[in-house]
Amino acid sequence: MLELRINGFGGQGSVTLAHLLAQAALENGNQGQALPFFGVERRGAPVRAAVRMSATSIHAHSQCELPDYVVVMSEKLTKEAVNEGINEFGAVIINAPHAVAVEKHPTWQVDADAIAREAGLFSADGPFINIPLFGAVCRVLNIPQNIMEQTILNKWPGSGERNLGAAGKAYNTVTQIRG
Amino acid sequence: MKAAQVIMDTGAHAAALAVKSARVDVVPGYPITPQTSIMEALAAMVENGELHARFIPVEGEHSSMAAAVAASAAGARVFTATSANGLLYMHDVLHMASGGRLPVVMCNVNRGIFAPWTLWADHQDSMSQRDTGWIQYHCSSNQEVFNTILQAFRVAEQINIPVMVNFDGFAISHCLMPLTLPPQEDIDRFLPLHEPEWRLDPAHPSSFSNVTNASEYAPFRQMLSEDIMAAIPLVKQAAQEYKDITGMWDGDTIDTYRLEDAEVVALAVNSMAAELRLSIDILREQGIKAGLLRPRLYLPFPAEDIISVLPKNAQVMVLDRNYNFGHPGGILAAELKSVLFGRRNDITVKNRVMGIGGIDLTRRFMAAEIRAMMDEK
Repeated sequence: MLELRINGFGGQGSVTLAHLLAQAALENGNQGQALPFFGVERRGAPVRAAVRMSATSIHAHSQCELPDYVVVMSEKLTKEAVNEGINEFGAVIINAPHAVAVEKHPTWQVDADAIAREAGLFSADGPFINIPLFGAVCRVLNIPQNIMEQTILNKWPGSGERNLGAAGKAYNTVTQIRG
Repeated sequence: MKAAQVIMDTGAHAAALAVKSARVDVVPGYPITPQTSIMEALAAMVENGELHARFIPVEGEHSSMAAAVAASAAGARVFTATSANGLLYMHDVLHMASGGRLPVVMCNVNRGIFAPWTLWADHQDSMSQRDTGWIQYHCSSNQEVFNTILQAFRVAEQINIPVMVNFDGFAISHCLMPLTLPPQEDIDRFLPLHEPEWRLDPAHPSSFSNVTNASEYAPFRQMLSEDIMAAIPLVKQAAQEYKDITGMWDGDTIDTYRLEDAEVVALAVNSMAAELRLSIDILREQGIKAGLLRPRLYLPFPAEDIISVLPKNAQVMVLDRNYNFGHPGGILAAELKSVLFGRRNDITVKNRVMGIGGIDLTRRFMAAEIRAMMDEK
């Protein structure tokens, strides 16, 4: 079983990102689970979501305390997100405009803000970064690009070039900063 | 024959889909977190014509259960849902449903009780309604929620007793998981349309629930008590026939995992009992012969099944997500001890309360707790 935790700010689309990843697992022939943590929601407050993928049935229903991957939706949250707990061999995927690395952990970086802006994807709170982040995480987890695209099309039939383009660009530009 | 369909959905939507496929007639509803998404989904299904039912928005949970009772007495198949203080607000009318022998099915999405306010799960709400005469299931997965609602309607209508289907707020209700939807014709075969033997009918006026003298009242209560116990074979039969038709099985009155040779048995309900399977695996890797016993039925408490399934000389670690006020520990431990007394003197029962107000219960934490309990006297 593979466990991920998404750390973001309220309004960044972490719930949708978690749902997309769980749906991609199913699309890829595995079991998937998205378990967002719902607090007393406020835009801008730190939020988190658990995602699990497994070849066999998933029984876990806790938040991921020591995940294999931490997905950081905003660079500002990196330290807090990693300190919350990560597997000894866990990797970190960070949305940042420049190369960043976390001590002792394999680190991947993608500029989801720029990709979303360029694709014209905006929410009320700024660039709609969960679509490019979904592409980046799929790449890091070796989920095939066609599975990623099919997952987006299943969720938003006819969603068109902007979503697929942004996810595809992130899929192909996410970079491993530390091995 | 049509094949089952696999979708990704939340526990709350799984409940709404089960209610739709049960072809209910009436859904009274009032919102309360975390149950609200069930009512939202059902209201939308009625609005867009997917579900041919009457949705009755009311001004509070007391009215919601009153509307459910009235509709059920008129012969309708009725569903409603609530959580926490909403359930407590219904308390008075819950007795009306059971005493009136009305087969209402309700989901209670478990949430800790006010005061102080909390949004997240514990089991004080459902377990505090133990003595209302409702049958109570507690479910561990989205799929089990779906399956159990259908089984609940069947049992309720066979025996004319209302059934509460409980599952944890957020950990199940807002958790997106794969969900298998059996073909509707299979569900119709398992759960035919509701044909009550009696109903309130303006064309044939009769009185219902009059004042009784003691010699009339006492037999009614005695009958209710006996019939609740008689639900156990019906619960088993419903689980078995559901399996025969759909291929899906969540246990019947109980569910077990690696129990046969266990020396240490964890006992818990709801989502923490699913996570506990992983704790059992951790303990087994550490060389401890651990197993899981999950009562799926909380009321009637499946005494004989528990007595017969516990391995000889086992230590049972009861993990309660509730308080048994006035006693140290929780409600499930007290239920278990009362069942074992004089019947299984070889069994040791230990108990901890945990996960109150939604405190996260991880596989590692619960495995460590069980290990620590082993060393306690």
